Amino acid sequence: MTGVNFYRVRRTLGVWIPVIVLMFVVIAPFYWIFTGSIKAPQEIIQRVPTLFPQSFTLQHYDKLFSSSDFPQYLLNSTIVAALTMIVTLLLATPAAYSLYRLRFPGRDLIFKVILVTYAFPGILLLIPLYTMLTHIHLVDTLWALVIINVTFASPFAVWLMEAFFKAVPHELEEAAALDGADRATILARVMLPLIAPGLGSIAIYAFITSWTEYMFASVVIISDVNRTVPVGLAGIIGQYQVDWGLLLAGATITTLPVLMLFALVGRHFVEGLTAGAVK
Amino acid sequence: MRQTGKVKTMRTGWNSQALLGYLLVAPLLLWLAGTILYPLMAAINLSFQNVGIIGTGGQYIGLENYSKVLGSGKFWDAFKRSLVWVIGNGLFQTVAAFATALILKQRFSGRGIARVWVILSWIVPTVVVVIIWRWMLGTSGGIVNYLLVALGITPEPVAFFGSPNTAMISVMLINSWRWFPLMAVILLASMQNIPQELYEAAAVDGASPFQRFLNVTLPGLQPVLFVMGLVGTLWSFNVFDVIWLLTGGGPSSGTTTLPVYIYEMAFKKYRLSRAAAASVLVGLFLLLFAVLFIRFMAPKGEEEGE
Repeated sequence: MTGVNFYRVRRTLGVWIPVIVLMFVVIAPFYWIFTGSIKAPQEIIQRVPTLFPQSFTLQHYDKLFSSSDFPQYLLNSTIVAALTMIVTLLLATPAAYSLYRLRFPGRDLIFKVILVTYAFPGILLLIPLYTMLTHIHLVDTLWALVIINVTFASPFAVWLMEAFFKAVPHELEEAAALDGADRATILARVMLPLIAPGLGSIAIYAFITSWTEYMFASVVIISDVNRTVPVGLAGIIGQYQVDWGLLLAGATITTLPVLMLFALVGRHFVEGLTAGAVK
Repeated sequence: MRQTGKVKTMRTGWNSQALLGYLLVAPLLLWLAGTILYPLMAAINLSFQNVGIIGTGGQYIGLENYSKVLGSGKFWDAFKRSLVWVIGNGLFQTVAAFATALILKQRFSGRGIARVWVILSWIVPTVVVVIIWRWMLGTSGGIVNYLLVALGITPEPVAFFGSPNTAMISVMLINSWRWFPLMAVILLASMQNIPQELYEAAAVDGASPFQRFLNVTLPGLQPVLFVMGLVGTLWSFNVFDVIWLLTGGGPSSGTTTLPVYIYEMAFKKYRLSRAAAASVLVGLFLLLFAVLFIRFMAPKGEEEGE
């Protein structure tokens, strides 16, 4: 009897308390910005913070969407992220198929080159990429951001695909070939459905990379109408009198698409992330 | 029978397979050549000129930018801060990631969900991370300062970004908060790859949990620790936006690491060429670091082919 209780106490202390502390450290800040965004202005700035909102208002969201440029930023960020996703998928998927499923001389070297590029510090490219984009007249366009984001997302995306491609048995392709299917048919009918979770992971990674990018967007975009969300929100932070309600509403809205995507394919994403690293 | 069939298709298909292989990686390689290799060359070229603001012409001035950068105290201050930054982040993140991985390794209901959602702080945009912490650490109305004062830990609100040292530590902790979950899930996956028998054998030999961690877990993690040490250092060196948006490199340049230094030089002081020279120098330092790290830290033995 006492033995059971002792076990229970130990388990509570040893397992549940650390788990709860960990999840608190990760999640609580998000709770805090979300609840802050629906508090009335007086409650936001009051000296004693309220753990549970005492007031409820959507005025910050209303202000964000009706009297700031945020909708434009959101649209721009969405366009850039969607295009980054598409181009990354188009570049990384065939490359990953080639590197993980085919054999050819120089394959390992190419693989290593791509590995180097994903560890490559972007700051070293800031000035030359900016200069290059100026020369080809893409500065201050959303395309410039797409080009930059694809460059940073695609090497890692290739690497993410490893686990998914390696999980498909070679026999499956061979069996289909014996049935007389040509390579294109095999790719479309056999391969594609099996690596779909991997494509989802790439897509989410490309989206996140693009959605969060600040450094390049802050120098490559000049006019206000082309700003993306991070640069737009940073502009609000930099104002003399910070409007916290507005900022918290903006942060909440900015987090939402990431949460939704992650809820859809987060499990596969973490799987791909860790499988590649562990190998 | 099946075996021979396989060999045959592989052989006859070899040439077309190689062709297809090159064809499929070519677009990505060309893309990366155009957006990484070419710009790098351009940066080297730019670093020998005296271009100030973009669009203005420049003349070749030899090594002047390099001598100016290397002779500038500000560059070396930023260099030292980057060193502190990388080491501090490495320490915080390693400790937090190990603790997290060990916590999530245990059996409890809902751990599948916990293992996925723990990386939440890594997937949200950095600007959101910045808003969260600027709000929570604010001197008036910030929850952290409220709690510190209410619980009697500090007599009055702490200005976390008020002095160079506290600002540096605060930004390091915030950046670590963003990154440790990613490190943790990678460590965790790697821990689970260590054969259970090794732990059982150690337990039979009477090893304490701590000894098991030291003698079984750590050696088993060596390959992944090596990769994380290398890539993690480069990634953490590269961090710009969290620092810039939290402190702008201040106060009194206290958080101006090399990326912030380069950014300011190029886009606030409009000395594009000199910033390019600084980039090239930084690139060389990082290359040197990578070579030394691989040379001395690469896990030894069991070099498996394939």
